[in-house]
Amino acid sequence: MSADVRILAAEEGCHLFGDNGCGFEAPTVGMFFPEPWYGGIPGSAGIDLYMVLLLIAVGATLLLWSWFSKKLSLVPGRRQSVGEMLVLFIRDQISRPIMGAKGDRFLPFLTAIFSFILLMNFTGLIPGLLPVNSNLAFPAMLSLVIYLMTLVVGMKHQGGWGYVKNQIFPPGMPKPIYVLVTPIEFLSVFIIRPVTHALRLFATMFAGSLLLAVFAYGGWYMLNLTAGPVLSTVSVLFSGAALVGYLVFFVFEILIMVVQAFIFTLLASLYLNQSLEAAH
Amino acid sequence: MLVELAAEYNILRIDPVKFGFGLIALAVVYFFVARKAVPKVMKVLDERHDAIEGGIERAKTAEAEAEAIRQQYREKLEESHREYAQELEKAKEQRAAIIAEAREEAQAEARRIVAAAHAQIEADRQQAFSQLKGEIGVLSTELAGRIVGESLSDSAAQNRVIDRFLDELERSEGKQQAEVR
Repeated sequence: MSADVRILAAEEGCHLFGDNGCGFEAPTVGMFFPEPWYGGIPGSAGIDLYMVLLLIAVGATLLLWSWFSKKLSLVPGRRQSVGEMLVLFIRDQISRPIMGAKGDRFLPFLTAIFSFILLMNFTGLIPGLLPVNSNLAFPAMLSLVIYLMTLVVGMKHQGGWGYVKNQIFPPGMPKPIYVLVTPIEFLSVFIIRPVTHALRLFATMFAGSLLLAVFAYGGWYMLNLTAGPVLSTVSVLFSGAALVGYLVFFVFEILIMVVQAFIFTLLASLYLNQSLEAAH
Repeated sequence: MLVELAAEYNILRIDPVKFGFGLIALAVVYFFVARKAVPKVMKVLDERHDAIEGGIERAKTAEAEAEAIRQQYREKLEESHREYAQELEKAKEQRAAIIAEAREEAQAEARRIVAAAHAQIEADRQQAFSQLKGEIGVLSTELAGRIVGESLSDSAAQNRVIDRFLDELERSEGKQQAEVR
């Protein structure tokens, strides 16, 4: 059932200027619900394409880092330099500016989630596949892990109640204001923050994939070489425009994937910093 | 039909199986990347940092050493310059002293010669004078004899004798004077 829409849109013979009279079926949300290979799990869609995508992302991350970290020397080669550049990028752009030197102990974790999220997003660049993070379960998992980390680190550094107090009673305000501020802060820090942390990554990956799919399906739909010389030429022009759009958005999508991985890591670092010390 | 489809596809539903597998995947990535690979890379980065910092430290030490040695050389050079100037000054002083001494000596010698000459002259004069004294006695006796020998009546003859005597005396004295000179 769930694959019907995809099949419908890419159905053979359904093209612009076609004589069977079928219209364009834009890709729908259904493309994010691939047919499960094993669906017998209650409360779940079962084992489907996302498991394979996740496996690819994990494999690529492990492969990349085992490649970066083998045969290290004081005088780095090109391969080692790239790995070091990645670590230094996370350190100098995310960890150090936000947490300072005391955040260096989170640097391996931040580097790991940055590269993992990046490669989870990059599976969407393989034509026909999707970014792992276009399914909310994965960003939610990442966000929840970081949420729990901020709670544990915060309570360790500021005490159980101390952490909560510092979060919901920002200092330096007149007393009556707390009636307003405290519920807002509580909602913001402990409920909205982890949710938006996950949704931001999910939504951008979801929308980006959908956009690319529209260009791909549309380009394929508009290509009709059997409609006579004039209409064929027109269809090729339309299809070519869609291809150009696809390529432009493909490059744009790469940028978004990098930026989203960066932002996710940056926010994780920001939340961890609020756990390390009472800010404001 | 489409409404039914949309109801079935709830994109905000979190799939527990995917969530679980994601958690396992993150654990694997954490273990191999965050615990193994990245610390290895960071260790090398730190080692390199230390090595470079150590190198800079060594270079700084060497530079300071070189600076100290240069300072020593400069001081020594200045000192030798100063010594040379002092020696030169001393030599000049010595030269002046020697010249002054020589001049002093020469003057003293000259004075001594002059004094000796004066003494000699004085001695000569004394000698001549004493000689003359003796001679005057003899001459006076001779003159007196002559005067007495001849007659004292002729006053004109008396005057001639006296005149002649005085002339003789004068001549002999002038001759003596010339000898002294």
